[in-house]
Amino acid sequence: MMKRVPDWLNSSIWSSTPPPDNDRLNRYASKSTSTIAATAETTSSTSKSTATSAVESAIEPPVPVPPPIVVIQEPPKPEIRDPLSNNENGSSASSSAEEISRQAQFLQELSKKVINMGELRRLSSQGIPDGAGIRSTVWKLLLGYLPIDRGLWSSELAKKRSQYKQFKEELLMNPSEITRRLDQPVSFENEKSKSDCSGLLSRLEITHGEHPLSLGETSIWNQFFQDTEIIEQIDRDVKRTHPDMNFFSADAQFAKSNQEALKNILIVFAKLNPGIRYVQGMNEILAPLFYIFKNDPNEDYTAFAEADTFFCFVELLSGFRDHFCQQLDNSVVGIRSTITKLSLLLKEHDEELWRHLEVTTKVNPQFYAFRWITLLLTQEFNFADSLLIWDTLLSDPEGPQETLLRICCAMLIIVRRRLLAGDFTSNLKLLQNYPPTNISHLLYVANKLRTQPAHQIF
Amino acid sequence: MVLVLVLALGDLHIPHRAPDLPAKFKSMLVPGKIQHIICTGNLCIKDVHDYLKIVCPDMHIIRGEYDEETRYPEIKTLTIGQFKIGVCHGHQIIPWGDLDSLAMLRRQLDVDILVTGHTHQFTAYKHEGGVVINPGSATGAYSSIAYDVNPSFVLMDIDGLRVVVYVYELIDGEVKVDKIDFKKTTAVTHSAY
Repeated sequence: MMKRVPDWLNSSIWSSTPPPDNDRLNRYASKSTSTIAATAETTSSTSKSTATSAVESAIEPPVPVPPPIVVIQEPPKPEIRDPLSNNENGSSASSSAEEISRQAQFLQELSKKVINMGELRRLSSQGIPDGAGIRSTVWKLLLGYLPIDRGLWSSELAKKRSQYKQFKEELLMNPSEITRRLDQPVSFENEKSKSDCSGLLSRLEITHGEHPLSLGETSIWNQFFQDTEIIEQIDRDVKRTHPDMNFFSADAQFAKSNQEALKNILIVFAKLNPGIRYVQGMNEILAPLFYIFKNDPNEDYTAFAEADTFFCFVELLSGFRDHFCQQLDNSVVGIRSTITKLSLLLKEHDEELWRHLEVTTKVNPQFYAFRWITLLLTQEFNFADSLLIWDTLLSDPEGPQETLLRICCAMLIIVRRRLLAGDFTSNLKLLQNYPPTNISHLLYVANKLRTQPAHQIF
Repeated sequence: MVLVLVLALGDLHIPHRAPDLPAKFKSMLVPGKIQHIICTGNLCIKDVHDYLKIVCPDMHIIRGEYDEETRYPEIKTLTIGQFKIGVCHGHQIIPWGDLDSLAMLRRQLDVDILVTGHTHQFTAYKHEGGVVINPGSATGAYSSIAYDVNPSFVLMDIDGLRVVVYVYELIDGEVKVDKIDFKKTTAVTHSAY
């Protein structure tokens, strides 16, 4: 007996004013009803045709915040010529007031001596405002980089930053420099017998059998040349990261140094983690972190963005490392197992869709979910939207992986009508090029898929 | 700091006096590691030229008296990093292998490092702030003045004002590596590379 469409999806809340407790739901529901009715199908195509001009202009992808609120209070900073700055749409005074109040709530929470993480998570799950470097600080807290006790911030930061500097010095040195430093004490003696006299140059023994053409496994030279391949790969991928964003790809000094920073982080990571090294895609996970930290209005944070990003990247990746390890693909912790979890989640919440997708049209979830999961949805939505999704990913107490699966499941459910009507080709095409969506709605649906009610977790 | 490795070798005399480079040398000469090759001459045939081209595309070859390619120059100077390097086969310098005569050439070319061959013996002399290096014969071919020759070549690691010269010799079937440290005193006013 096939399960019907879940009741909540057909519930009356979609056509009437919802209860006021959920902020996000509020914002969503203030759109016109015609949009709401068509939600289950492609949100973008129908919403673009609504009459309400304010709503219509608000759905444009460049707007980073949920549609009805389109005014960001602070003027965009000159360096950000990217999605986050295209806020020319007007809106009612009440929405901007709401935005100000949210910022104020965050700032108040962040200024406490000891941060209440539960409260911060609750606030963040509804989206973090773009201004005042709030997101930069909140992400650092959510990833455990900054301790909750504000008093410890400066000492922690100093410690971590100097550690990163040390990593760079040790790991980014080429073997020529390394051997020179090792030989420093010896060469000073030779200097004394100065170059005025002629004669046979003395031959010295090499240390530890180290020479540039060494083929030994432990040879620093050999490792250096092997690393060169990885470094070339990292270089190629970094150059291809977000080619549409000035921050990364402009033909200017700042973009080049941003790319340099990304490269350094990935190289240091690869050298510190010989088990996993560098895998294509890590650059995509790194990019939003670096972007946010580098665009922090606080000069100190901007100057050390590279070091801060490194540690946060390590922390973020730690939950997903196993997805990048090819040998673990088929294991209990590997990517296949995670994709299976997604599949089961879909089956649990929407069996009809699950059956249609996997059995009838034989759309193997690996075809679309692989990229969704390994790249944390950065490739499925525009940059600004993916920042919002990451706000939820990082702040949810269930942890990023569980949250990610729920969001992926929600992505499927939202386009269920199109999927149910489609065959293998059209479904695959749809899922591999996921249509622009109202992120609030997506996250709302994802929230509903929780096994425990939200208020019990926070 | 960018890595600059310069391979110096010569007097292979392939195919007349030796069939090929020793296998152990060939296994070490992997493409992609070396930035420049300096060859003192007497390869002697094009096949050797092609092989060396694979190891590193940037080659500077000098004419030895048995080379079949007649268009290699007899003397060449180049600048790599902070070092001016001069190359000559050496059969023109008489007495062969004599330090003072080689030193004259070094002064004449005004180079920091003079690389010559012909004697099939590895030597490295320092002279008045410069260095004269002979990488020997990479195949261990006999010369007119020596029969029992150990195959040898030289790899220079140029790093600023300092060069580490790694000497690779095949002795009794085993590769032995030594190194020589040399630091020059003054920088070149402009770098042509």
